[in-house]
Amino acid sequence: MVKSMQESKGDKMFLLGTYVYLCMALVVVLYPLIYILSASISSPQAVNSGQMWLFPKDITWAGYELVFNNPKIWNGYLNTIIYTVVGTLLNLAVTLPAAYALSRSDFVGRNWFMGFILLTMFFSGGLVPTYLVVKNLGLIDTMGALILPVAASVWNIVVARTFFQSTIPKELQEAAHIDGCTNIKLFWKIVLPLSAPIIAVMALFYGVGHWNSYFSSLIYLNSESKYPLQMVLRQILVLQEMSAEMNGAGVSGEVAQAMNSKAETASLIKYGVIVVSTLPIIAVYPFLQRYFVQGVMIGSVKG
Amino acid sequence: MNIRSKAWKLLMVGGLGASLLAGCGGGEEASNSAESVTVSKEGFPIVEQPITLTMMAPDVGIQNWEDMVVLQEMEKMSNIKFEYKNAPKDSFETKKNLVFASEDYPDVFYAAGLTASEQLKYGEQGVLVPLEDMIDEYAPNFKALLDEYPDVRKSITAPDGHIYSLPVVEFSQHWYRNPMWYNGEFLEKLGVDKLPETTEELYDYLKRVKEEDPNGNGEADEIPISSVTTPAANIRDIRTWLLGAFGAYEEEIYVDDSDVVHYTPMDESFKHYLEYMNRLWADGLLDPESFSQTAEQKKAKGQNNQLALFSDWNAYMTKGGEPSTEDPMFLPVRSEYVEKAAIAKNRGITTGAFAITKTNPHPEASLRWVDYLYSYEGALLFNKGPEGTLWEYENEADRTKKYLPVPDGQDREDYRATLTPNYGIPAPTVTTDDIGKGLTTDFDTWVSEETQTKLLDNGARIPFPALFLTVEEQSEINSLNSDLSTYVKQMEAKFITGAEPMSGWDNYVATLKKMGAERVAEINQAAYDRWKSN
Repeated sequence: MVKSMQESKGDKMFLLGTYVYLCMALVVVLYPLIYILSASISSPQAVNSGQMWLFPKDITWAGYELVFNNPKIWNGYLNTIIYTVVGTLLNLAVTLPAAYALSRSDFVGRNWFMGFILLTMFFSGGLVPTYLVVKNLGLIDTMGALILPVAASVWNIVVARTFFQSTIPKELQEAAHIDGCTNIKLFWKIVLPLSAPIIAVMALFYGVGHWNSYFSSLIYLNSESKYPLQMVLRQILVLQEMSAEMNGAGVSGEVAQAMNSKAETASLIKYGVIVVSTLPIIAVYPFLQRYFVQGVMIGSVKG
Repeated sequence: MNIRSKAWKLLMVGGLGASLLAGCGGGEEASNSAESVTVSKEGFPIVEQPITLTMMAPDVGIQNWEDMVVLQEMEKMSNIKFEYKNAPKDSFETKKNLVFASEDYPDVFYAAGLTASEQLKYGEQGVLVPLEDMIDEYAPNFKALLDEYPDVRKSITAPDGHIYSLPVVEFSQHWYRNPMWYNGEFLEKLGVDKLPETTEELYDYLKRVKEEDPNGNGEADEIPISSVTTPAANIRDIRTWLLGAFGAYEEEIYVDDSDVVHYTPMDESFKHYLEYMNRLWADGLLDPESFSQTAEQKKAKGQNNQLALFSDWNAYMTKGGEPSTEDPMFLPVRSEYVEKAAIAKNRGITTGAFAITKTNPHPEASLRWVDYLYSYEGALLFNKGPEGTLWEYENEADRTKKYLPVPDGQDREDYRATLTPNYGIPAPTVTTDDIGKGLTTDFDTWVSEETQTKLLDNGARIPFPALFLTVEEQSEINSLNSDLSTYVKQMEAKFITGAEPMSGWDNYVATLKKMGAERVAEINQAAYDRWKSN
C-alpha cells in the first residue's frame, strides 16, 4: 500500500535528511564504544600519543591479563551478582505490591499514603543521619547494608503504579471478585501475568542501579571480601593513577619506580576495566529492551 | 487468616533479627571499655593480656591488612590486635569525614593525613586525645626524635599547646618536587658539556634544541621543555624549578632570608618568571600542550625522544628504557635579578599521620605500639618487612643488607606491598638512610650525588616550615585561597600564552590585593613569627 503511493519530492528530501541525521547520531553513539574497545587492546603509547583513534594498534592483551589475574575481580564479580540478584528480587517484592495497592482506587487512604511516600522523594535525611540509621540497625559492614536501605525507590513505585492504573481495567478486578477471587490471588494470578513489561523495566532499573552502585559500599563496608565489582575496579584504577599525582614529598623512590613500571599499563587497565564492568549489562540489555520501550511508553501516555 | 498469620510471623522474625543485631552492637562496645590493662613501658609484649583495637587507614587495595606479615608480626610481638576499618585510598577523605560527622570513631587513625584544621577542630572538641604527656612516658623513641630535632616538635604542636597527631618523618628524601632532567643524548649531540647556569644560557640551549634537530630524525619535532596539567595545578612540575631562578622558593608562600613571608603570585619574582615563560612560549620553546596534556601524553613524547628538559622522578621514567646516568639532573639556573637561585627542599615532616581518639580504651598501649615505628627496627620492619622475606642482613652490626630473590618472579615492590601497609600512604614512621643501607643500586647512588651537588650544596632549604594556623586563621585562608588560586591559575596561563600582555601586571596585582592576597601573607607571617619564637 505504502509503496504504491507516490512520494513527493519534499518527502524524499525529508527521508534523506532523516537518514543523514540518524547516521550522524549513530556515529556519535558508536564512536566512544569502539574507541574504548580498541583502546583496551592497543599499546598504551599508541593511545596516549593519539596514533590510535579508531582501530586497535599494536595489539596487546596485557590489560585484560592484569584485570583477570586479580583474584579480587572474581570475588567482586560474585559479590556484585549476589547484590544485583538478591537486591533486585527484594526490590521487586517490595515495589510491585506497593505500587499495585496504591493503584487501586478502592484502597482507603491511598492519597494519604502516597503523599507520605512522595515526601521522601523531595526531603531525604542526608548522608550522615542515614549512615547513623544503618549503623544503629547493625548493618555496617554487612551485605544487607547495600540491599535493605535501597529496597524501594519512590520513583519506581510511581512508575509502576501508573502502569497498573492504566493497563489493568477496573472491570477485570470486579469480574475476578465476582468469581470469588481474593485480592492476593488477584494480584498473583491476574495482575502480575499481565504486567511482564513493567516487571522487566523495574528489574532493569533496579538491576543496573545495583550493578553500578559503589557509593554505598564505600560508605558502609569495611572488609574487602564484601566489596562489589565496582569498588574493586576503582581500587585497581586508583593504584595505577597514583603515579600521576606523585611529587617529591610523601613517596619513596621504590614506590616511584614501581608506579612507573605500572604507569605503562595504566591506560590499558583503565579501558579494560570499563569493558569488563559494562559488558554484562550491555549483554543483558537487548533482551529486556523490547519490554523496556513498551513498559515506559504505557506508563507515560496515560496519566 | 492463614496469610495474615504468615505476615505476622515474618514481621516477628524481622523484628527479632533486628534486635539481635542491635544486641551484638551493644555487646561489642561494652566489652571494649573498662577493664584496666597494665601497659609495660618498655620492651615487648606491650600488654600482658591481648587486647583488640580498631584502626582506620587508607588502603591501596593490594593485600588485605589482616594478611600482611608485618602486621601479624607486630600483633604477635605486642599482644595488640587491630581490626581494620579501612577505606580505599582515593575515597578515604569521604569516609574520614563521615566517621567524624557520625561520631563512629576508630580507636586509632593510621596514615590518615589529618589536616591541621582537622587536628585542631577535633582536638579542641576532645575527639582526638592530646599526646604530649603520654609521649614522655610511653614513646621513648619518638621522644628521642623530638629532642634531637626540635623543629619537629614545633611543627606538630598545635597553637593550643597540644600534640594531637604524630608525623611522617623523612630525612632521606630531599626533593620538594620531582626534579627536572636533561635529555643527555641531546646535550651530547649539541656538544654541551657545561649545563646552563643562567636563564639566558638555558634559553640559548633550548633554542638550539628547537633548531638543530638533536634527535636526528630530520624533523623539527623537538620539544625543548614540556609540562603537564593536572586537576590540582597547571605546569606545577616545572614551575617550582623555574621560579627559583627569579628568587621565589615556592609557588604560593615562602619566607625569604630576612624572615619576611611572601605570597608568591604577587611577588616581583613571579612577574619576572612570567616574562621569561612568555618568552619561551612565544619562541615555541615551551610545549604548547603544556596547559592541556596529561602525564601519560607527556611520557609518550618522551618515549619518542622529543623532549629536552622535563620533570619526573627519574629521567628514564619519561624517556623509557633502563635507569641511566647519562641524563643529568637540572642544575637550578639563576636570572639577572638574583645572586643565587632559590632552591626548595622537602620539609621532611608530614603531620597528621597517626592519632588516637577518645573512644580508645587503651591510649597508652596504642602509643607504645606506634612508637616502635619510630625506632630503627620498627621503621625497618614496616618499610621492608621482617628479615628473611624481602632482604637479609649481610652485616647486622653496621646494618648492611642485601635483597633476597623475590618469589614467583614478581615485581619486588609488588611483593613488598603484600608484606607491609606502608606502601604509597603517609604512614607514621621515620625514614633514615640506614634503612636502605646496602640495598641501593649504583643508579641510586648517582641520583643522590646529583641531588647533593646540584641542589643541597647550592643552598636548598625549606621554603616555609610545616606549621599550624589557628582555626580562625585557617578558615579565613581557605576562603581567600579558593578564589585566589583559581584567579592566579587562569592569569598565569594567560600571561604565559600572551592572551594577557605583561602590561596587565599592575592590574593583576591590584585585583589580587582586592581579593585579599595581602591578608594571606599577613596571616602566614603571624603564624611564622609564632613558630619562630616558640
